[in-house]
Amino acid sequence: MLRSFYKVFFIWQLEKEQAWINEMAQHGYSLKHAGRLRFDFEETEPDRYIYKSIFLKGSSGSDDNIKYFKFLEEMGINVVCYLNYPGTCWVYTRALKEDYPDGIELYSDIDSKINYQKVMAGYLVFLIIFTLLAGLLNLSVVIIAAKAQGRFMTLNIICTVICFSLCIASFIAAVKAYANIKKLKKERQLHE
Amino acid sequence: MPQTALTEAVFYIMLSLQKPLHGYGIIQNVEKLSNGRVKLAAGTLYGALNSLVDKGWIDALPENPESRKKEYVITNSGKTVLKEELSRLSELVDNGNRLLGGN
Repeated sequence: MLRSFYKVFFIWQLEKEQAWINEMAQHGYSLKHAGRLRFDFEETEPDRYIYKSIFLKGSSGSDDNIKYFKFLEEMGINVVCYLNYPGTCWVYTRALKEDYPDGIELYSDIDSKINYQKVMAGYLVFLIIFTLLAGLLNLSVVIIAAKAQGRFMTLNIICTVICFSLCIASFIAAVKAYANIKKLKKERQLHE
Repeated sequence: MPQTALTEAVFYIMLSLQKPLHGYGIIQNVEKLSNGRVKLAAGTLYGALNSLVDKGWIDALPENPESRKKEYVITNSGKTVLKEELSRLSELVDNGNRLLGGN
């Protein structure tokens, strides 16, 4: 039987989302499909699966990603579903908990961890620019309408606030990602 | 040009591929060779295998229709690289032992 839940997670909340999905799996609800807002779970025995969300460059249908998914499958890690965004995709994978009792770890060396953080940081920079431009565009509409026509553009004001809020949140997440990259690079100077 | 050091993961992957192995087999073999110390993660292994194939140090064998798992094996140039790395590591160990008063 399927049960649906509605929740919002942003790109910088990947770990939080993953923790929630794994908590659901512990209670016998295993993710079957994820949408932008809706998550469908099927009832399974508790703790049957362990989940890992991954953020990849390119669409889920690209040759490189299809090859990667096939490789993961050979490792017992299966793609459950994915969400495509411009230039990237957010992939939900799972494996049997008995095969991965300590959780699914995809990167065991520093270089791979740095590359992963770089993909994430790159997308966050794109989001910062996009939301900033969208926010400025809406703000200019609000200002022009107020000055020229004396009109109060409620919808544009709301859009401006949303865009700037997303921009700030993306900026904070990007700073964190770059700090992680810096930390990993320092570590690499001493260790592999 | 002197060869730069191989990462531990790459060294063990190449060492494991003296005979054809698929991804999961490599992970198990590396763990066994290192007495459980080195545990390769799937994403890291995938990236390393692709880089090694690009460099021509390992070959990806034609897919076996029965297992549907891709197998890899070391090439002659891979073996040469591995031997050079072994000699570099021997130098490290010899110097370490000499200066620290080991064997």
